[in-house]
Amino acid sequence: MSEQSGKQLSKEEKDARFEAELLPVLDPLYNFAYRLTLDEDDANDLVQETYLKAYRFFDYFEQGTNAKAWLFRILKNSFINEFRKKSKQPAKVDYSEVEGYYNSEDVEGESGVATTTDMRTESVQDLIGDEVASALNALPVDFRTVIILCDLEGFTYEEMAKILDIPIGTVRSRLHRARNSLKEKLEKYAKTMGYNS
Amino acid sequence: MESKFTEVYQNAPAEGKETECEKVSKLLDLVIDGEATSEDQQYFNHHIEECIPCFESHQKQKLLKGLVSGHLKRVIVPISLAHLIKAKIQETL
Repeated sequence: MSEQSGKQLSKEEKDARFEAELLPVLDPLYNFAYRLTLDEDDANDLVQETYLKAYRFFDYFEQGTNAKAWLFRILKNSFINEFRKKSKQPAKVDYSEVEGYYNSEDVEGESGVATTTDMRTESVQDLIGDEVASALNALPVDFRTVIILCDLEGFTYEEMAKILDIPIGTVRSRLHRARNSLKEKLEKYAKTMGYNS
Repeated sequence: MESKFTEVYQNAPAEGKETECEKVSKLLDLVIDGEATSEDQQYFNHHIEECIPCFESHQKQKLLKGLVSGHLKRVIVPISLAHLIKAKIQETL
């Protein structure tokens, strides 16, 4: 038994605590990784790496504190250090690859627009969902990140500042610009579909 | 080629209202994200009750946020990933 720290746990205890506190974050964490990398395999690798790092530093994690923010921060740093270097070009999303993940039933045609006349609510939701995803993925990664963290994961500005290691003022201004960018992209789509903005 | 509505706004108590709208638009994101102080929130709510453009901006911004929070498709985590992570953790000393 190690004498280094008074709160040294046995491996079993550590693993149990790790699984209980950190594994539940897997779903949002994977989603975040996917939004950053736009690639399933990369997202997979990124998430694994994140959990391994978290495990290595688990002694530094105060039990009961914000596990989600802590993991998101580790993942974001891993992404910047390892993955951003890899992809120099904006990643292209191959929708045929990810279509299996989505619950789209009536989506037909190459453009993914439902051509059935029966525009059930579900199909419209899918359309909207696909377009929002498309617009979001087209944003620069920094913009995409703040929108995901704020609007999808519901982090507060303060949490976002900690995750991203930037001042709250920067969080706000970046979010503001990101939203304007997203709005522009979606308005373009709305116009091409014939909706009045 | 200004519409009737624009004229109405320009005739409004010019300076006070303009500064108010600027002030309010700075609060917009804070309000949308639930980060505004209750004082600012009340000020904001009161203003949009009597200012159509600001009210519309608020609606638009709410909609935009709602598109992401409510409509963005979430990807499904591969089932194997959780197992893989657990396995790697167990291997790690």
